[in-house]
Amino acid sequence: MDTFKLEILTPNGEIYNGEAVSVVLPGKEGEFGVLAGHASLTTLLEAGVVDIEKEDKSVESIVVNWGVVQVDEEKVVILVEGATAIRGETESEIAKALEEAKELINEVANSSSAIASVSAKIESAAQKLI
Amino acid sequence: MANLKDIQRQIKSVSNTQKTTRAMKLVSTAKLRRAEELAKRSRLYAQKMNQVIAEIAGRIECNKIGGLENRCFTEIENPKMVDIIFVTADKGLCGGFNIQTIKAVNKLLKEYKEKKVKVRLRGIGKKGIEYYKYNEVEMFDTVINLSSKPDKTRSDEFIITSIEDYKEGKIDAVHIVYNGYKNMITQELHVNRVLPIDVGDFDCEKVESNSMMELEAEDEEKMLDSLIEKYVNYNMYYSLIDSVAAEHSARMQAMDTATNNAKEMVKSLNVQFNKARQAAITTELIEIISGVESMK
Repeated sequence: MDTFKLEILTPNGEIYNGEAVSVVLPGKEGEFGVLAGHASLTTLLEAGVVDIEKEDKSVESIVVNWGVVQVDEEKVVILVEGATAIRGETESEIAKALEEAKELINEVANSSSAIASVSAKIESAAQKLI
Repeated sequence: MANLKDIQRQIKSVSNTQKTTRAMKLVSTAKLRRAEELAKRSRLYAQKMNQVIAEIAGRIECNKIGGLENRCFTEIENPKMVDIIFVTADKGLCGGFNIQTIKAVNKLLKEYKEKKVKVRLRGIGKKGIEYYKYNEVEMFDTVINLSSKPDKTRSDEFIITSIEDYKEGKIDAVHIVYNGYKNMITQELHVNRVLPIDVGDFDCEKVESNSMMELEAEDEEKMLDSLIEKYVNYNMYYSLIDSVAAEHSARMQAMDTATNNAKEMVKSLNVQFNKARQAAITTELIEIISGVESMK
């Protein structure tokens, strides 16, 4: 399967750097997915969840509060302001990540419906991990 | 010859100072490591952010995005009012770190004065603020405790005034002056003009062949605005963390030199002390011998 290089950068360092099969992004104009060989584009992201499908079919979810994404044929670079990855070995670690993610969303999203929809997504991502 | 007791007292005081400076050096080394790590991790983000902005700015310059004009990208002729933001440390004892920044600010102030441009001075860090207060230079606003503990939220709050005033046309340029980290022993002075954004040399042809950019017409303005805001915010924050790293490296160096100087001083004082002691013994001996001689 074709993969592309994905980098997610925050002001405090890299949160993800590796190969990915596909990535779903919360664009300003609506959600969109990127596969390898996508045409180049630059656009803004809203607060939401970035779903990364990795080579081994596992999906990793990263919550972001704002971002700008630069896609070109072989690489995707996402610059975000704040991000929390929903991952962890134990249930308590996942719960902690979940808490942080919700906090991040509550800070930026201005409508309660946006918060609710993102929270629902986070919850389901966490459920899959447990 | 100085009194034995005096010399002893002096030696004690100098070696106590040496202990303090050595401790301060160790503290700075530890803090430097953390600050350096943060700055290093952030540098990657800074590079990418600059790339994105440069690309967009270049496109506007090359008119790839239909007729879009934004105040943040256009060079303003005959500026009337500019913002100068300086970042200094909250604490002293770090060699020429603060004074270098202040000198650069003064130079900038002078340049603008000659051009008859009004300047709004915005200060971060106690040392610089104290300097300008003492010299009775008017400052627009000041913030303390931010340069020693960089905080994204507070830095955003601080810079937003400049961004908004710039967009409204109240000011025509924003400069950030700070002393940045280069390596363990050198600091590098930065005078950055964050607004209007410097497009630099942009190769229009390269863009055309390289990639396309999708921008919805109605959202262009909004998107650019929010991107520019983040860009400037981030530049401010990066200046702060870079400045902290530089501050600690400057202090580490200053304290190292101080420790060495104290060591030298103790050494020479010890020689003096020994000489004085020997002289005292000799005098005493002579006294005893001459006493014995006279009794014969």
